[in-house]
Amino acid sequence: MPTVAALLVALLLVWLAINLAKGPAYFTNIAFIGLTNGAVYALVALGYTLVYGILELINFAHGDVFMLGGLISATMISAVFGVTTKSSTGFLVLAIVCTLFIAMIGCGVLNAAIEFVAYRPLRGAPRLAPLITAIGMSFILENIAIGWKGPGYTALPNVLPKGDVFSAGGVTYTWEKLIVVLITAPVLAALVYLVQRTRQGKAMRATAQDRDAAAMMGINVNRTISFTFLIAGGLAGAGGLVYALYFGQLRYDSGYQLGLIAFTAAVLGGIGNLPGAVLGALCIGFIQAFNEGLRWHSPGSDWTESIVFSILILILVFRPEGLLGERTPEGG
Amino acid sequence: MSATAEPLLKLDGVQTYYGSIQALKGISIEVHEGEIVTLIGANGAGKSTTLRSINGLNHPRHGTIRFRGRDITQTAAHDVVRMGIAQSPEGRKLFPRMTVVENLEMGAFQRKDRHALPEDMERVFTLFPRLAERRNQKAGTMSGGEQQMCAIGRALMARPTLLMLDEPSMGLAPIFVQRIFDTIVEVNKQGTSILLVEQNALMALEVANRGYVLETGKVAMADDAKALAQNDDVKRTYLGEI
Repeated sequence: MPTVAALLVALLLVWLAINLAKGPAYFTNIAFIGLTNGAVYALVALGYTLVYGILELINFAHGDVFMLGGLISATMISAVFGVTTKSSTGFLVLAIVCTLFIAMIGCGVLNAAIEFVAYRPLRGAPRLAPLITAIGMSFILENIAIGWKGPGYTALPNVLPKGDVFSAGGVTYTWEKLIVVLITAPVLAALVYLVQRTRQGKAMRATAQDRDAAAMMGINVNRTISFTFLIAGGLAGAGGLVYALYFGQLRYDSGYQLGLIAFTAAVLGGIGNLPGAVLGALCIGFIQAFNEGLRWHSPGSDWTESIVFSILILILVFRPEGLLGERTPEGG
Repeated sequence: MSATAEPLLKLDGVQTYYGSIQALKGISIEVHEGEIVTLIGANGAGKSTTLRSINGLNHPRHGTIRFRGRDITQTAAHDVVRMGIAQSPEGRKLFPRMTVVENLEMGAFQRKDRHALPEDMERVFTLFPRLAERRNQKAGTMSGGEQQMCAIGRALMARPTLLMLDEPSMGLAPIFVQRIFDTIVEVNKQGTSILLVEQNALMALEVANRGYVLETGKVAMADDAKALAQNDDVKRTYLGEI
């Protein structure tokens, strides 16, 4: 079996190398697309992994929190701030920053409220129970979105500048892609700082590793769990804004599709592991972009999901703990 | 201790359940200031449940628990620590992906006097030199005995008024068992009252002032440790003598 896997990886690398040789500039442009998509996935994947790390719960409603974040962002940008393609850069930046905060706070509070209403009463119940309520919450949020925006797509004007940041020898990097990274990177850096360096982050890590022991250390476990949902929701809100800006439209079920990909990314990287979620998200972003973009013998977009999940299966067979996950006695 | 002074810790008719199963059927025990009190008894007698009732992880359904004159029967676990009760729990419950030093720091999580931490950590390292050697090792990768030392050290880092130890000798080599019991006496001399749960009744009764024998959720016997160690029933059942 390991030889089969090694062979597959070798084939993949050869395929990438030939594509790179046939058009280095084109290949790089496609990689930029993968990086940008991966950044959006990372924001959502981190929410799955944070919540799983602390509760061992797959929060199926998380993708829908992201979707509502996108709808809130679209509404803020186009209806509240009234940003158009003709708006000045200064006003655009102001509107985006304000919307970022509103979407993050809104989704954070929403996510913490979901935990309080739907998961906390089931804390002592068998694990299947909160899983089912999570699916239920997902449907409720989608129906709220339909009730608010209707079943159609909510679009927002193409407000991000499409100009080139740089363009050399056929390699171009556009402003809209840079802006996605410029929003994502500080949010990720703040998260790492929060978890690694602050007292609250310490409480989160302790609660994730042993809830009873954390309580015995004087940590308010319920408050720490609420805080974790708040942070996860905030990341989903940021993801919603970035998605709305970059892809320009979304609707009630956008969170289902992207949530599934982001959840896969979290498992790929090692669920519960923060750098793993980012790595998994970037991997899937690249896989998707290369598969759909490269010209030489690429399977094409019809195959993207099959490929993503085939890779997931292979990873789980050979490294059940994910790319960066740790082998723990509990079997995680 | 004077007979009139209110005990440091007083359990009165405590009944605790796991779901519908009653684990404690009316436990009444006391720990006075400066004492070492031991709970001995067979597996399932309710020793660990008694500790879980005190530390707030499993609130009693009936009865009261008072600590320093305050009712803590329904106090949340994280507030119980703040009031001065720390525990080295059953199964150790270290944070497996944190280092020894990080685990010890977690023990002092709720303390306000951060400046005193290095000194306290040195004290733990003096008690357990083995931990000093392993200070940067992940707790989950250490041997059972080393984990036990780390768990006791972590509880000490809280600077508790009352230290509760659940099976501190479990899984330790005999040489370490002696060390742990020496440490318990040492810590007690420095002014910490101790509630000690032990399977190793012989050692426990040796270091304790008083002891309670628990049987199926009830206190079967309560006496001075020396008297219990001489009691024929105790000898036969818990000390392995015929």
